[in-house]
Amino acid sequence: MRLKSELAGRLSAIGLVVALALSACATPTADDPDARTELTAINDPWEPFNRAMFEFNRVLDRALLRPVAQVYRGVIPELGREMVKNFLDNLRSPVILVNDILQGEMNRASETGTRFLANTTVGLGGLFDVTDIEFHSEDFGQTLAVWGFEEGPYLVLPLLGPSPIRDTIGLIGDSFLDPVTWYTHRTDRHAISWVRYGMRAVDRRSRNIETLDEIERSAIDLYATVRSLYRQRRSDEVLNGRPPQSVTMPEISWDEDETAEENQVLVVTK
Amino acid sequence: MYARRLLPIAPVIALSVLLLAAPSSAETFSPKEFIESLGEETIGAITDPNVSERDRLTEFSRLFRKGFDVDTISRFVLGRYWRRATDEQKVKYQILFADFIVTTYANRFRQYSNEKLLVDGERTANKRDTIVLSKIKLPEGPAVRVDWRVRRTGDNHKIVDVIVEGVSMAITQRDEFASVIRRGGGGVETLIAELQEKLSADD
Repeated sequence: MRLKSELAGRLSAIGLVVALALSACATPTADDPDARTELTAINDPWEPFNRAMFEFNRVLDRALLRPVAQVYRGVIPELGREMVKNFLDNLRSPVILVNDILQGEMNRASETGTRFLANTTVGLGGLFDVTDIEFHSEDFGQTLAVWGFEEGPYLVLPLLGPSPIRDTIGLIGDSFLDPVTWYTHRTDRHAISWVRYGMRAVDRRSRNIETLDEIERSAIDLYATVRSLYRQRRSDEVLNGRPPQSVTMPEISWDEDETAEENQVLVVTK
Repeated sequence: MYARRLLPIAPVIALSVLLLAAPSSAETFSPKEFIESLGEETIGAITDPNVSERDRLTEFSRLFRKGFDVDTISRFVLGRYWRRATDEQKVKYQILFADFIVTTYANRFRQYSNEKLLVDGERTANKRDTIVLSKIKLPEGPAVRVDWRVRRTGDNHKIVDVIVEGVSMAITQRDEFASVIRRGGGGVETLIAELQEKLSADD
């Protein structure tokens, strides 16, 4: 019951965010067909709202998450941080396993299952990775993508960051699938969930300090850069790193560009 | 037209072809080998402890221009706006972009400078492009998957894109530039001004 009401709360919060976003800004229109194609591809009708959220998250990151992650990396020895990461990965394994299965990836499911069993027992509750199987992540957003759901409009959530509609639904789906969520709600130990989210954020941030600094430093439009990075990374994750079926991805119009260029040259020389 | 203009320098060309023929014959170099040797050369150059920071960047810049098809990249990255730009804008943009991309890549590669590049295969993308697959092994964490889009032009191989864990540098840059131009009202001028500002801030 509690889980349901909690979930309803989360859902309505997201609903509110979306409604606000929708009312805050009208969909931009463009007369130029090229510009219209571009806007459709960007699929960010709530851009002003998203940019504001993005800035909000960035301020929080600068003030809190990045400094904490830096201290964490400076104070805790590598072995300790490795154990934290192992533990958090292992804790997510049941959700990953279910998503592996839902995507029909049976080999990967058995990898996840074997890892989870070995590390939970021999690996002392997941603190050690005693297998030589590489960890992989999966989530319900990816499962939806495999099932054919489009990504939908881009959305930036407070605290959680980039999360287009499909991935937002995925987040809700994952919390449903997660035994830890069920446990903490049933036993009224919400603190466990919060500590876990916090640790996950710090763990991930501590491994990206230099990379993100560099991206920020070289970006002219950081918001647009992150939006592009997020989407490309997600489609790669959905494909589990395998190259797409069609070799000439329509998005990489290397050929098209060249042809257009050559045509132009032809016209000029004529 | 061209033949006549080229006539006086024909002996020079013939001579340089003779001089260069041996090492740079394309048939002996596969895209894979091209990436391997360029990788070795680059890592050697940027990790040499006897070289000052400034010389290191100069050397990186030289290798970068040798290995990357900066002209093609700059046009791809501007996307549909390339065709709209005036000749003057194109020239300005390309000069700025070359500086911008060298600095950006130098900083990004520096993070990987002490690591090992393992080339582990290639696949054909289309009749001109080959994707060379590689991994960069880091001291901590899993290896990073890096794919190189290599284009063959005549006897040469040049990199036109680097794809890190499925994220294409060229596409990211194109999306970013498109956003800058769109928000600035649709003119390439905005991007040129932003690039100028970025480069002067870095100095």
